[in-house]
Amino acid sequence: MKKYLLKKTPFAEPPQETEHHFQIDYRNQLNPAQFAAVSSVNGPHLIIAGAGTGKTRTIVYRVAYLVELGVPPESILLLTFTRRAAQEMLRRASMLLDARCEKVSGGTFHSFANLVLRQYAPLVGFDSSFTILDQGDAEDVVNLLRTQMKFDTREKRFPRKQTLYDIFSKAVNTVRSVKEVLGTEYPHYEDHCDDILRLQQAFEVYKAHHNLMDYDDLLLHLRKLLRDAPKVRETLCARYRYIMVDEYQDTNLIQAEIIRLLASSHGNVMVVGDDSQSIYSFRGATIRNILDFPDQYPGCNVIRLEENYRSTQPILDLTNEIIRRARD
Amino acid sequence: MTRHKFSKELFTRRPGGEMPVIVAAQNENIQSRFVVQKVLELREQGVPLSDIAILFRSGYLSFDLELELTRANVPFAKYGGLKLMETAHIKDLVSYLRVIANPRDAVAWNRILLLVDGVGPRTAERVLEDILAGRVKAEQAGSSTTLPAFWSNFHTFPDRLGTLFQALKDAAHEHLMPADRVQRLLEYYEPVFTTRYDDYHKRRKDLEMFQQVTERYRSLSTLLTDLALEPTTDSVTDIVDPGADDEKLVLSTIHSAKGLEWHSVFVLYALDGRFPVTRAAASDDTMEEERRLMYVACTRAKENLFITYPINVYDRETGMILSKPSRFVDGMPEKLLDQWVIDEE
Repeated sequence: MKKYLLKKTPFAEPPQETEHHFQIDYRNQLNPAQFAAVSSVNGPHLIIAGAGTGKTRTIVYRVAYLVELGVPPESILLLTFTRRAAQEMLRRASMLLDARCEKVSGGTFHSFANLVLRQYAPLVGFDSSFTILDQGDAEDVVNLLRTQMKFDTREKRFPRKQTLYDIFSKAVNTVRSVKEVLGTEYPHYEDHCDDILRLQQAFEVYKAHHNLMDYDDLLLHLRKLLRDAPKVRETLCARYRYIMVDEYQDTNLIQAEIIRLLASSHGNVMVVGDDSQSIYSFRGATIRNILDFPDQYPGCNVIRLEENYRSTQPILDLTNEIIRRARD
Repeated sequence: MTRHKFSKELFTRRPGGEMPVIVAAQNENIQSRFVVQKVLELREQGVPLSDIAILFRSGYLSFDLELELTRANVPFAKYGGLKLMETAHIKDLVSYLRVIANPRDAVAWNRILLLVDGVGPRTAERVLEDILAGRVKAEQAGSSTTLPAFWSNFHTFPDRLGTLFQALKDAAHEHLMPADRVQRLLEYYEPVFTTRYDDYHKRRKDLEMFQQVTERYRSLSTLLTDLALEPTTDSVTDIVDPGADDEKLVLSTIHSAKGLEWHSVFVLYALDGRFPVTRAAASDDTMEEERRLMYVACTRAKENLFITYPINVYDRETGMILSKPSRFVDGMPEKLLDQWVIDEE
């Protein structure tokens, strides 16, 4: 008998359940904009959540909504900036709906990268048992090499370990060269640029040789994996059908690209944030991610949460004016 | 065309509310005293201290306020940035002052000895022994290049110790105001400071700020007492059970205040040149980020918002006198922002 292979449909089936059967009365427990956000399902969505407008509540309800729709909880990926934030949101979603929400995959970019890389590390040249260096560990490695390479006995002062590591990390997170970072942040060390580059190279070799990854490496290697291993990318795209990212205004370029790659096959991605509260550029965050999201995801639905539950109207009148005067 | 923002118009259904206020203070200390008095008033009205926050652009901007709060016995917790007394370079500087006030202060001696190139823990210990045994005093230290004769008979110490003693001697003269002592010590400390700290250019503002604070004092011991009374993390006050009266006023950088809210919020030092910082003028992008910082600060407030700024602040970096309110709130219509001036009793 001849077998005929039916291909997997590339997009998620439209969810089967309808609002009619839901346990939670979403329409009445949320304001209209929050409800619009919560009930947005397939495709790309940008939620501009103004200060004090119930952003967390909206994310919690959306997780519950997806689960009620019949989306398997483990196929929802919720990325936040602290682990505690993810845990708290999933805990609240479970209280709101039921224990299914606990099964949602939630965490930080780094914890997610760790999870994926434990499985696929050999594809990026590491052993799955790689060790993660925290900042202090990484600085100690830098210091070791600094001494080994005899930079500590220079006549002219050579930057200390914290400074060196800060330079390396800034270069990664802001996608700039070491030379550029030196120029803007540590101009008094520009003379040492060549030596600092040599040290950076030695640092990379050392980490690869000893099966070590620092926080920046977790993101870089995850991106590399998603870029260069199409099969893995497809597997992950199939595993995580609905992606949600909190505090999107604080993401850096590498994180935005990771999201783009993860959503590449289905395009089901909801990012939540407030461009007016983007204040971490010194750490590598770029406001361009949130501002350009609608251009990078054609067909993107933009929803603004503007009803504030925190401040009095006189305070809001002033803050509205402060931001109205911002560059258009 | 490049998008620069998503326009938004926040609103609430809650009626009423007080107008936000901008307060001009004649100088930094008056700003601090205004904040303290207003905080105490709010507390009388039943607002817990922990529901009031003082927010600022950079950690060092609250130093004067920290001293004023300590004096008024208002407990506070500071987030983001270090407390004045916890920053290593201020600790250095204060240690020089401490040995001038009390030559038997072994802790301070130890710190400043270790700052001398070539002095390690063992040398420091031996020098300290001599000092505590009364065999040497800062006032009788030798010239800038030779060691006290007494010492050379016993030990071989690095020449640089002589320079330290000379500096202490210069700063120990009677009839000097605390600020003058600090000025003299800074001349000695400058090369130590720039060798010691890679990011010295970022820390320099703290030293300036410290010097500015000392200008208000006539007596060194009063200054040191005020500084020492601050609750630092390693002091005994942490061991004592704080009891029920645990509530503390919140002092925080704006970066650390993100996502939080308080009944009443003070935005301190909304002074153009401090917030936005002068260097933000270098590009539109950095200036716009400063504006967003102001937005984040002001949107933390639930009921009351006070924006304060001192005038006549000398900026050593540019040589300018700063007197204008932050450009982000300057020229706001009076129906949006009430303007107060302070009258002294």
